Amino acid sequence: MPDQILAQPALYSADDAPKLNGGRCKKCGYVFFPPQNYGCEFCGAMTDQLEPIALAGLGTLHSFATVHLHQDRSGKGLQAPFTVGLIVLDDGPALRAILGAPTDAGLRIGDRMHSVLAPAGTNDEGKQIVELRFAKTEAAR
Amino acid sequence: MKKTIRDMRPVYVVGIGLHKYQHMSETTFVTLGLTAVREALRDAAIEFRDVESAYTGTALIGMAVSRPILRHLGASGIPMAQVENASASGSTAFRQACLDVGSGISDVALAIGVDKPAPLAAAASKANIRDLVGSRVVPFTHFALLANEYMNRYGVKPEQVAAVAVKNNRNGARNPYAQRQKAVTLAEVMAGPPISGSLTRLQCCPVGEGAAAVVVASEDAIAKLGIDRSRAVKVIASVTRTERVYRGAKNFDAELTRETVAQAYEEAAIGPKDLDLIELHDAFTIEELLYVEAMGLCGEGEGAAMIGSGATDIGGKCAISASGGLLAMGHPIGPTGAGQIAEITRQLRGEAGARQHPNARIGLAHMVGIGAVCVVHILQKGM
Repeated sequence: MPDQILAQPALYSADDAPKLNGGRCKKCGYVFFPPQNYGCEFCGAMTDQLEPIALAGLGTLHSFATVHLHQDRSGKGLQAPFTVGLIVLDDGPALRAILGAPTDAGLRIGDRMHSVLAPAGTNDEGKQIVELRFAKTEAAR
Repeated sequence: MKKTIRDMRPVYVVGIGLHKYQHMSETTFVTLGLTAVREALRDAAIEFRDVESAYTGTALIGMAVSRPILRHLGASGIPMAQVENASASGSTAFRQACLDVGSGISDVALAIGVDKPAPLAAAASKANIRDLVGSRVVPFTHFALLANEYMNRYGVKPEQVAAVAVKNNRNGARNPYAQRQKAVTLAEVMAGPPISGSLTRLQCCPVGEGAAAVVVASEDAIAKLGIDRSRAVKVIASVTRTERVYRGAKNFDAELTRETVAQAYEEAAIGPKDLDLIELHDAFTIEELLYVEAMGLCGEGEGAAMIGSGATDIGGKCAISASGGLLAMGHPIGPTGAGQIAEITRQLRGEAGARQHPNARIGLAHMVGIGAVCVVHILQKGM
């Protein structure tokens, strides 16, 4: 996918099953997302104790909400309605992500979810920008 | 050894004042602040020259807010500082004033809250730590997610969550300082417009402008200045905490509230059953359900039924958001926490008129703010 540009390359990989760039504290084992290098929020260990860790884009839907009111000042971003999910990753951290479908039709708390790269506009050179979202994992998968 | 406010000399609220909370207008922050401070001084029947220190809770106006307001009361040279603690700025200014009086640094201290809406970003947005959603998740969606989780877990209907707005707007309709002074029906609340998840517009607090002021004093000052002892209200707990790491998807606002309120109960040597009155951070309807449970007024998942039963109405077991709360009185940020102290004081004095909760003796004020921070005070009638 050479023509695809990741909206936030610091946060995820360009794989077909995109992984999330998390962090782990070598001292206490705390796993976190999003990544940061300032110090461990759980135990206070310094930067040299923090290591990058790839988190599988797999988890469980903890809650969701369809956003009806959203002002995107650029006019090029996501327009309401869109649905946000709170997902607890199998690897530990909980995170909020835009979900693949704009509405919550068919969603249930407890659904299995997986990461996908979804189109999110184009850049100035007309190249496709993609961002990491989560989609419901159908039982057949 | 470590001290709490109970180990210091007693601190009393002796004066309260407000500028009505309202949509942003041409009114300057100076006029907003002066209106509240003059009313508080008049209420305490003291002069500005009797005030020995001042703290202004403010988040959005800009650098050095206090003196441009207070100099118009006669520049007396007292120490002044601004307190910024997100939505809990006014609560924290009040705490600082209490600590000044409790410690003996001041005999009379003033806490102010004042703000006008402004597009000022939270510091965390400049930490260069990005998440997946950015500005696409704002507070109303944070709380819509919590509402979705709560309703699913306990089998609660959206109407039961929305009922909080009906109660609080009914209270706000009787509060001349409230931004929303109109009773609404459940059908009106549910009719939208939808904002996020199950939350409709009337389930989200209005953020406007306003001001609140509280005068606190020692027993010495009350005697010396001849302040009416029968209207003094004692501060019996002052606690503030910040978020720790709560694993997984645990709701940090509720956990932080649980920890902070538990510490305040211990400090005041009371329990949830002793509370007659609570002003809590009901910026969104769902919060009231989460916090009554976190405060131990009922069990987990019982908040919706408790509010539905009328137990938290004015005249019920424990009146919650008698002022109208953030949902109806409004949430102008800096003033909100100080305004809660004003409401509880008014209620404990028995001066709340049409929205008076009968026989109110003990009241709790609770604010949370982004960060996350939590500030809790407990006030008791009489000296």
